[in-house]
Amino acid sequence: MQFSRNWLKDFIDLNLSTEDICSQLTMAGIEVDGYDVFNSKLTGKDSVIKLDITPNRGDCFSVYGVARELAVINDLKLKKPASSGIESSFKEDIKIKVCPEAPRYVGRSLKNIDLKAETLPLIAERLILSDQKLIDPVVDVTNYILLELGQPLHAFDREKLEGNISVRKAKKDERLTLLDDQKINLSEDCLVISDDLKAIALAGIMGGKNTCVTHSSKSIFLESAFFQPSAVRGRARRFGFQTDASIRFERGVDYEIQELAIERASAILHETLGGEFGQITESKLTNSLPKPKKVSLDLNKANRLLGTNITSKTAKKYFTGLGMNPNNKSRKLDISSPSWRYDIEIEADLVEELARLEGYDTLPILPLEPKATRNRESKDSMISTSLVSQGFNAVINYSFISEEDEIVFGESKKMIELENPISQNMKYMRSSLFPGLINAFIHNLNNGLESQKLFEIGSVFNKKTNKLTEKNRVSGLVYGNSSANHWLDKPKKVTFYDVKGVVEKVLSSFDLEINFESKSFEFFHPGISSGVFDGSKIIGYLGAVSPTILEDLGLKQDVFLFSLDIDALKIRPINKFKNFSKFPSIQRDLSFVVDKAVTGQELSSLINAKAGKYIKTASIFDVYEGKGIEANKKSIGFTLIWQSSKNTLLDSEIDKVVELIVNSVKKELGGYLRN
Amino acid sequence: MDLKSLKQKISELKSDSSESITLCRDKESLDKTYKSYLGKSGQVNSLLKSLGDLPNENRREAGKLLNDLKSDIENLYKIKISEISKAANELKLANQKIDVGLPSVYQEDGSVHPVTKTIDEISSFFESIGFEIESGPEIETDYYNFEALNVPEDHPAKDMHDTFYLKDSGLLRTHTSPVQIRTMENKSPPHRIICPGKVYRKDSDLTHTPMFHQIEGLVVEEGASFAQLKGLLNDFLQDFFGREVELRFRPSYFPFTEPSAEADIRWEQNWLEVLGCGMVHPNVLEMVGVDTKKYSGFAFGLGVERMAMLKYDIPDLRLFFENDYRFLKQF
Repeated sequence: MQFSRNWLKDFIDLNLSTEDICSQLTMAGIEVDGYDVFNSKLTGKDSVIKLDITPNRGDCFSVYGVARELAVINDLKLKKPASSGIESSFKEDIKIKVCPEAPRYVGRSLKNIDLKAETLPLIAERLILSDQKLIDPVVDVTNYILLELGQPLHAFDREKLEGNISVRKAKKDERLTLLDDQKINLSEDCLVISDDLKAIALAGIMGGKNTCVTHSSKSIFLESAFFQPSAVRGRARRFGFQTDASIRFERGVDYEIQELAIERASAILHETLGGEFGQITESKLTNSLPKPKKVSLDLNKANRLLGTNITSKTAKKYFTGLGMNPNNKSRKLDISSPSWRYDIEIEADLVEELARLEGYDTLPILPLEPKATRNRESKDSMISTSLVSQGFNAVINYSFISEEDEIVFGESKKMIELENPISQNMKYMRSSLFPGLINAFIHNLNNGLESQKLFEIGSVFNKKTNKLTEKNRVSGLVYGNSSANHWLDKPKKVTFYDVKGVVEKVLSSFDLEINFESKSFEFFHPGISSGVFDGSKIIGYLGAVSPTILEDLGLKQDVFLFSLDIDALKIRPINKFKNFSKFPSIQRDLSFVVDKAVTGQELSSLINAKAGKYIKTASIFDVYEGKGIEANKKSIGFTLIWQSSKNTLLDSEIDKVVELIVNSVKKELGGYLRN
Repeated sequence: MDLKSLKQKISELKSDSSESITLCRDKESLDKTYKSYLGKSGQVNSLLKSLGDLPNENRREAGKLLNDLKSDIENLYKIKISEISKAANELKLANQKIDVGLPSVYQEDGSVHPVTKTIDEISSFFESIGFEIESGPEIETDYYNFEALNVPEDHPAKDMHDTFYLKDSGLLRTHTSPVQIRTMENKSPPHRIICPGKVYRKDSDLTHTPMFHQIEGLVVEEGASFAQLKGLLNDFLQDFFGREVELRFRPSYFPFTEPSAEADIRWEQNWLEVLGCGMVHPNVLEMVGVDTKKYSGFAFGLGVERMAMLKYDIPDLRLFFENDYRFLKQF
C-alpha cells in the first residue's frame, strides 16, 4: 500500500519528517519500502510512503489505520474521520438478507446522480498518489474509502438490480462474469451477493459485470459489508488473482466500521454528485459477528521473557493506546481485542505488543550460555574434503531438471513432476546429479577450460512403487588431463583408473568392503563402466560417458563420471593400534600369461587364496599385451610380499607356496608363468 | 754420505716437497709428486736405502728424521688431497645449479562451493556453543511445512511463500523449519539445533532464485528469552563478519513465532535485513507436545546466499548456480 503523507494529517497532528515517520513505522513492525517526495499544488510539500504490510496487520491497510498506529507510538490523540450525516430523502425499499459468513451488511441508495461530474481534486490527487486509476466519481470514492478506512465498498447500478439483495453461498455450477470481464465458475464455498434472480458480485472480492455502474447510471446502491475472513480467504487466489478488497477481507476488516464508511462515502458523493440519498439500511447477525477476544497477560512472565521491567502503569498506558481496554485483575492484566485487530488471541500476542511499544531495540541483551556438543564431522564434509584435496571443485545445481536430461540420466523411469514448474526446463525433480554436472562442465568448456574436475553433493529424488524417496548423493565429473600442463612432464589423459582412484580415496575414510565389478549402464560406455560395491551391495558406479551421448554433446574426448550413495557409507569406528611385525619380509615377482578374458581381480583373488597365511600384499605391477605374448593372451605381473609376525620366513617355505600358486593358476585359469 | 749431508738433504727435501705439493692443482699431479718423494723409487725411499752407509751410531737418529719427513709429506698430501677433492666437488656442484624460479610441481586443491563454505562457517559458530546439526527431507508435506508451523490452509501468510507442488502430492519445502518440527517430535527438550539445507520458492528474478539455502536455528530450554535471542544473534553476526557490526531488531511477522522480529545490520549507509527470528509460537510448541509451562523457545532463520554475498562481496545471486570456474576457484 502507498499513500500521501499529508493524508495522515486528517487524523493526527503529527510534526515529524517523512524520514522519522518511516523510521517509527519500521520500528513498530510496519515495514516501509521507501518514500518519494512530492510537491502538491493542493497540500504543499508531501511524500508518498510505501508500506509492505505483513499478513497479521490488516488493520494497517488504511491511512486511518496507519495514523492510529502513529498516534499510539507518539502518544497523540487520534481524530475520528469526519462524517457529517447526509440526510435521507426516501425510504429504502431493497431488503437485505445476510448469513453467518456475512454478518453485517450496510447499504444505501443514491438517486438522480450525475456521473459526468469530476472527482474532487484532493481525492483525485490522493488516489493517484496511491497508484489508483481514476475511473468515475463513484468508483473513485469507493476506492478512496477503501484506502482511507480499509473498508471495501461496492456500488451497484440500482436499476440493474432485480428485487432484493441477499448474501449467500454460490450454487453448484453457478457462473458469474466479473467487472473485468473474467468469467468464473463458482463453487459452493464461494460467497456471492445476489439479487432475486442472479449472482451480482463475488462477495468481498469483485462485483459482477451485470450490475456494474456505468457513465449512464442514474442511481446506485452502495454496499458496505463485513465478510468473515474465512469466507474470503483463498477464493480469489483460486481464480488466479487478488483485489484490494480481497486482500483486506482475508486479513480481517474492522467489523464495526461499515456504517461510518458509508457515511464518509455519502458525504463525499454528495459534494461531488449531488442527488438524493436514501435511508441507510443495515442487516446483521449479531451472534455471528466477531467478538472482542479476552486475553490475560501475566506481566511478570512477560518481563521474564523479554528481560524487561515494564511496570503495570506503563503496560496499561500502551494497551489503552491500542484500544484494548486493559483491566487489572489480581496479578494479571485483562485486555479485550479491538474490532480492528485480528492478531490478538493469546498472551504471546500481548507480549509482542509490549515489546513493540517499548522498542525492540531497547530490550536488553543476554548471552546464551555455551553447552557441549557431540557433533562428529559429517559424511558430506569428509567426502568434500577428500575431493577438494584431489583437485575437485564443488558445484551446486538446481534440483529441477528438464525432461530430456531426466530421460538420459534418470535412474527411475517414473519421473517426479512439478505441478507448477518455473519453466519447461525445470519441470522435473532430478534423480541423478549427472545432468547438472554435465551442464556445468559444458559451460566451463565453452569458456576454454580443457581439463575439469567437478563434483556435487546433493539430494536426488526417486519414485519407487509410487513412494517418493530422497537420497543424498555425491557425483563427480573428470575431463581432460589428469595433471596440469607442466614443463617437467608431458600431460596425461585421464583414464578410468584415475577416476577409480578418486573413488577409492573418497571411500577410504569409510567402513566398507569395496570392490569394483564391471556393470553396464545406459549412459556409460559398455566396456568402460563399473559398479562400486560394499560386499555385494551396490553403492555407486563410475564409467566413461557413452559414445552416443558424447556425440550428442559434440564431444570427442572421454568424459568420466562417478556417483556414490552417501546414505550407504558407514563411518568407520575409531582406529585402534595394531602391532606390526619386526621380522624381515620376502618378496617375489610373478608374471602370469592368461587369456584376455581373465580379469586382474580373478587372478588376484586366486593368488591371495593360495598364498598361505603369511601373505601381506599381492599387487599388480604390470599388465602387458603384445609382442612376445600370444594374440589372445595377456601377461599380468604381481609383486607378492610375505611376512610372519613370529619368525623369519625361509625361502624354502615360500618356494612351496609359489609352486602351489603356479599350479592353481594353471589348473583354474589356464595360465602359466612367463619365463 | 755423512749425517750432516743427510740432514742437509732431508731439510732440502722437506722444503721442496712442501712447495711442490702446495703447487699441485689436481689429483693426478699430486699423486705424481707424492710418488716422486714416497714412491718405491722416490727420493725419500732412496735416502732410506742409503741409511746403511751411515755409521751405526748415526743410523737411529737419521732413521727418525727420515720417518718424520715421511709423515710430514704424508700429512701434506692428505691435506692437499682433501683440498683438491673439495674444490673438485664444489666445481661439480656448481655445475648442477638448477633454476629455482621455474614452476613447481604442485597438486592444486579444488574448491568448496561458497554456499557450503558459508554454511560451514555459520555451523561452526553454533556448534561451538552447543547446537546440534539436524537435517530433513526437501520434499515435504503440507503438515510439516505449514500446518505444524501455525500456518492454516488458505491463510494469507501462505502468500509469503510461493510454493512448488508436486503432481504426486507433496511440496518442496519453502523453509527448513519442518526440520525443527521433526526434531521436536523425535527428541525431548531441551533443544539447541540448527538446520541448514536447500529450500524452494517459486520466484526467479535478479534477487531471487527458485532454490536457495537456509539455516534455521531453534532453542527450546527452560527460561529461553528474547534477551538471549538478541544476545545470540549479536554474537553470531560479529563472529560471522569477523568485526563489529551494528545490529537492529524490529518487529515483524511469522506465523510460527510471537513475538517475531527481523534483524537488520548496518551496511554502509543502509539497514539490510539479514535474519528473521522470534519466540516460538506457543501453538507450535503445543502441537509437538512441548510443555509450554516449563519450556520456552526461540528460533531464527537466514538465507545463506545473502550472507555469503555480504561477506564475500558477491554482486549477483545467480553466480552461485552458474558453476563457473572463474567464480568457484575463488573460494
